Amino acid sequence: MITVEHLTKTFKISRQQRREMGPGFSGSTIDAVYDVTFVCKPGRVFTLLGPNGAGKTTALRLIATMLKPSGGSITVAGFDVAKAPVEARKRMGFLTGSTGLYDRLTPDEMVRYYAELHDMDAQTYKRRREELFTLLGIHDFAGRRIGKLSSGMKQKVSIARTIIHNPDVVVFDEPTAALDVVTSRSIIELIKSCREQNKTIIFSTHRMGEVSLLSDDLAIIHKGRLIFNGSYKDFQSQMQTASVEDEFVRLVEAA
Amino acid sequence: MKHFRTIFLKEFTDTIRDRRTLFVMIIFPLLLVPLMLIVVTKLQTSSIKKAEEKIIRVGMVTHGNALVLADMLMQRKGLRVIEGIPADSAEAFIQRDSLDAVIIVAQDFDAQVAQLHAGKVKLFYKSSEDYDMVKRRLTSVLDGYEKTLTAARFKKLNLDESIVNAVQLEEHDVASVKERLGKAVGGMVPYIFVIFCFMGSMYPAIDLAAGEKERGTMETLLTAPVSRFEILLGKFAVVVLTGILSAGVSILGIFVVVRQIEEIPPELMQAIMSILDVKTILLVFSLLLPLTIFFAAFLLSLSLFAKSYKEAQSLISPLTILVILPVLVGVMPGIELSTVTAMIPVLNVSLATKDIIAGTIKPMLLAEVYLTLITLGALSLWGCTKWFEREETIFRGV
Repeated sequence: MITVEHLTKTFKISRQQRREMGPGFSGSTIDAVYDVTFVCKPGRVFTLLGPNGAGKTTALRLIATMLKPSGGSITVAGFDVAKAPVEARKRMGFLTGSTGLYDRLTPDEMVRYYAELHDMDAQTYKRRREELFTLLGIHDFAGRRIGKLSSGMKQKVSIARTIIHNPDVVVFDEPTAALDVVTSRSIIELIKSCREQNKTIIFSTHRMGEVSLLSDDLAIIHKGRLIFNGSYKDFQSQMQTASVEDEFVRLVEAA
Repeated sequence: MKHFRTIFLKEFTDTIRDRRTLFVMIIFPLLLVPLMLIVVTKLQTSSIKKAEEKIIRVGMVTHGNALVLADMLMQRKGLRVIEGIPADSAEAFIQRDSLDAVIIVAQDFDAQVAQLHAGKVKLFYKSSEDYDMVKRRLTSVLDGYEKTLTAARFKKLNLDESIVNAVQLEEHDVASVKERLGKAVGGMVPYIFVIFCFMGSMYPAIDLAAGEKERGTMETLLTAPVSRFEILLGKFAVVVLTGILSAGVSILGIFVVVRQIEEIPPELMQAIMSILDVKTILLVFSLLLPLTIFFAAFLLSLSLFAKSYKEAQSLISPLTILVILPVLVGVMPGIELSTVTAMIPVLNVSLATKDIIAGTIKPMLLAEVYLTLITLGALSLWGCTKWFEREETIFRGV
């Protein structure tokens, strides 16, 4: 489970960033995320939807303990990320659209590296590796350098790397953003499979097709603030327009 | 600290599989410096030999004087004497390369010599060519001629030749060959060490920080249940190791190549080998280690700040000059290791190495160098750790 309460993240901004924001902006800080509250439950897919620059990645980085909150709190699998970040990370997998793999390692080395960082014992690792490599079809290229693999193969390795330690919580930051349709499908399947395994899943996207395909719960973020938070069914029932996309645009424009 | 080993081994594997790093760390120091040494030595030896064996064309204007000198020149092997050139064209002949030198004997030369005065001889030559060999070879003949005339004068005056020596100087150089060599070329050793150490650290530092940020692997690594200090330490240790390895490989290259150069006299070879002995090398490397720690921390900090590999390269590459400069100062004569220079990083290593090689290092100054380097290394590592913990550094522009 992930519990986010009154989460705020404030960044100092440089002179150059201020110039880029135009004459209307005069402050020296910006709230990338402001007073955000939501809960991601096990066995459900929580979708964080928002336009580019809305604060999705910042929110997920805060959950993944890469950034420290300026205000509010986050609990991952029962651990406060500010007080016990390492414990929270032990129970979490993180996947982005960029595969985040080392080109000069082999899939075998890559996955083993993360297993070791997660303190997996040799027996458990061996069993889990066999399970995942078979499921994802990695065996055939397990000894080849990652740099020489196709993007589809790389994404499979990336998935194995993310869930090798069988995490309770999986964070997907725009996982399909830079992928083709075929490779994106493997991610969609992974998210569905994680749901079936009763894991807590949060994923960010700006693709409406994925929202309707996967979401159990939905939060729409715009300019760092939540403008919708509820179940996907509630969202559909409250829609004032014909499509999810139109409703999203309406809400963003109204905010 | 249980993950340090895992991170270190992974980063090291990743680094040694990078062709660019491998080239700068191993191939470049192992082959380039030795190759340069061989080529330069062989070229120099062959061109000196060529200059020594070259037939020198000497224009001779005697005005009927100094016939003995003309004779001596004609009989000297490797000289071709050409007579009858106009005295006022000496310079022009040399400038347009028709002659290598011109000797003009004054019209009153014989008369002056007969009156026990100095007879004038003009020698025209070009010092810029052939290691000044033309002048050297001709003055040796002229010196011989002068000795003949002087001896004749002493004989005529019935004097002993030794009366002109009011002081008889006996020189005793107590410096050993190793000491002389250490002071003369000892500066070149740290030059090679330090530069390769810096260059060997450079690419891994760029790749393991800025490169990792650019590839998106840093983001996923930060979600692993490992402290940032452990991550940094793993990367840092690899950068230090590659720097030290690079310096070591450069010395190995020199060691191998020096033995292949036949032109080195045995006495000099013995001195070089005593410089390259295990004790000296270990002592020099013990200075290099804290310096490499400083380099690694500094390079990693810059690389962490950069948004991309390219930006890191632009930030770091100009620093090579900042490293070369103090090393060059260390090679300059008159700059010695003192309480002040012992506190200047890089320069202190350069000067201390020179003294270690010459065997003249003072323990107190060496201790000061160690203290400075260890303090600097510790401070820079501490700074780098703090820098890595800053969100603004890691996520700058990401």
